[in-house]
Amino acid sequence: MMKELKEHIIRRVKANFTEAEENNDFTYDRLDFTVKKEVVPSLLLFLKEEMGFKHLSHASCVDWLEEGELELVFILWSPKDKIKVFVRTRLDRDNPVMDNMDNIWPQLHTYEREFREMFGVQFTGLEAPDEFILEDWQGPPPFRRDFDTAAYAEKTFWHRPGREDAQDVRETIAYRDGEDIPDFAKKYSR
Amino acid sequence: MEEVLYNVLGAIATFLVAFVVGMTYGGLNRKITARVQNRKGPPFYQNFIDTLKLASKKSAIHHGVMQHFGPAFLMVTSVMSLLIVPVLTHNQWFPNLNFHGDLIFLLYIMVFGPLGMALGAGQTGNPNSAIGITRGLSQMVGYEIPWVLALVALMIQYHTTSIVGLMAVQAQSGTWLMFSSPFAFIAAVMAMLGMFSYSPFDVVIAPAEIASGPASENGGKYLFTMMSSGSVFAFVKLTLYVDLFMGGADNIVILLVKTFALYMIPVLYSLTTVRYRTEQSIRWFWGWPSFFGLLAILQAVIF
Amino acid sequence: MINDKNSQKIVDIIQNWARKHSIWVLGYGTGCGSIEIPPTMTSRYDAERLGVRGAATPRQADVLLITGYLTTKTLKRVIRVYEQMQDPKYVIGFGSCTINGGMYYDSYNTIKVLDKYLPVDVYINGCMPRPEAVLSGFGQLQKRIAEGRADGAKQYKENLEWYRANQKKIIPNWVMPEYNW
Repeated sequence: MMKELKEHIIRRVKANFTEAEENNDFTYDRLDFTVKKEVVPSLLLFLKEEMGFKHLSHASCVDWLEEGELELVFILWSPKDKIKVFVRTRLDRDNPVMDNMDNIWPQLHTYEREFREMFGVQFTGLEAPDEFILEDWQGPPPFRRDFDTAAYAEKTFWHRPGREDAQDVRETIAYRDGEDIPDFAKKYSR
Repeated sequence: MEEVLYNVLGAIATFLVAFVVGMTYGGLNRKITARVQNRKGPPFYQNFIDTLKLASKKSAIHHGVMQHFGPAFLMVTSVMSLLIVPVLTHNQWFPNLNFHGDLIFLLYIMVFGPLGMALGAGQTGNPNSAIGITRGLSQMVGYEIPWVLALVALMIQYHTTSIVGLMAVQAQSGTWLMFSSPFAFIAAVMAMLGMFSYSPFDVVIAPAEIASGPASENGGKYLFTMMSSGSVFAFVKLTLYVDLFMGGADNIVILLVKTFALYMIPVLYSLTTVRYRTEQSIRWFWGWPSFFGLLAILQAVIF
Repeated sequence: MINDKNSQKIVDIIQNWARKHSIWVLGYGTGCGSIEIPPTMTSRYDAERLGVRGAATPRQADVLLITGYLTTKTLKRVIRVYEQMQDPKYVIGFGSCTINGGMYYDSYNTIKVLDKYLPVDVYINGCMPRPEAVLSGFGQLQKRIAEGRADGAKQYKENLEWYRANQKKIIPNWVMPEYNW
């Protein structure tokens, strides 16, 4: 029953959006569509209104550094048929621009603010203040893979010396204070 | 001359006794609360240590002269009420500056403290203080009704308006007023629950909600004054109730026993209840306690 | 006789005894280490027998517990709270994130060493420290108060420029008032 339902959905989607590529092996309980970015708002609206995928579970962004693209993934769920659908698009990494979609689901407003701050994706028509979580942030978007957080932290903050030798805290304190570690605790020390 | 000397020294002695006993009762409250919650609490003299620490804070932060009014008015209220209420009967070391009609005087002096607190809280400009004070004054509207009804019933029944007169009635007839006007006693005890601001009527303090209400901008020596005046006022209220309803006390030991027995009522009740909102507490006060107050007035008029 | 050094010492001893046995902790959990504060304050590992109780506002509190990591956003607020408290005040660094950055040593957003921005009296290490460790930390603070060495507030006032320089280096948008004690 599930397989026929899924095939029915794939047929309906392909009938209306001929460019959608689908990537399905029915071993996983989900459907997967990859479309171009201009088609995404109408595809999401079609899935929400006509195919019954009323619930947006999640939206996330993947950084494909080697291919030079950012990928947006939207996960939809149909409470009636209990099927998941993944909708994927690719954006150009140097200038990622996308349409604002929060008239379809209001929670996309928060997701889009997060993508704008953390990945640098620009959404045309998004009316929101610039700052989301990071206050006074002047660096590159921090969630991209070419942002080296360890080097940034090394440069900006002062570190306490002594971390490099990686001593065991319990042994050091016991040694310094002249105490004895009991036998049952010794196996947890390195 | 001797009388003046006895009065002045007696006033100082009364204040010291009230301070020590009030602080100890506060510490005992914390100890009993802790034991009921299955843990050992702080020692019973913990409130003294707290006030000593508060008094030894080095820097003082205040927002203007009017902020002094808050704790100062509270202290003035406590001390003035303390000097009116007779602590021990027939003892020249504890004089009471009584006069005819001092029960009515006491009724409106006891309201003075939170009003001064409102002035001080307004000067600090902290919105939490303003909310706390509004709630406190609204709640006072609630519990004043059964309290006044009970006292008016007593005044009608025994044709006297002074505390010493009511104590003389009890000494003469031999029975406590607790038994000869029981409805007034019940209404007054229910009003006492509101006066102490323990749970369920502690929406004034409300530490996690409005950051302790009126006390939120007061630290250091202001808080020391507020805590001390709170303890003294607790002693005043308990002694007043003992004098009115339980026949007064001849020596200190009997006074301590009677006030402690009466103090257990708010303490033990506060352990078992949750906090009421302001309108819920006002509605409760104008329910059963006022009903008992009206019954007390009926009993006073008819019998 | 009133103003000589010996009577000052007696007053100090009494004052330190009172401060030692009544410590009011500000109820502000800055990081994930504050999940160990409620067990310490409630019935099982009772902290009230040491006199430790919660205070509602910075004006009434003695101790600021920095529990765990501090982001730069929180640091601005914590500095403001710390400067609102009244002398004598103490800071306890809770967890290994305040000591050397802990689990977030390579994060772009958290500070690694608390000592540069606020004067710390006692560090309690652990991730998170258990309530027994917290109580032992309070005992250590009591010992320092009794010896008279818990003067983080005085140190802050004297070296204010150094602390301010460190704070302004990582907080670019400084909106705090400039004090001149």
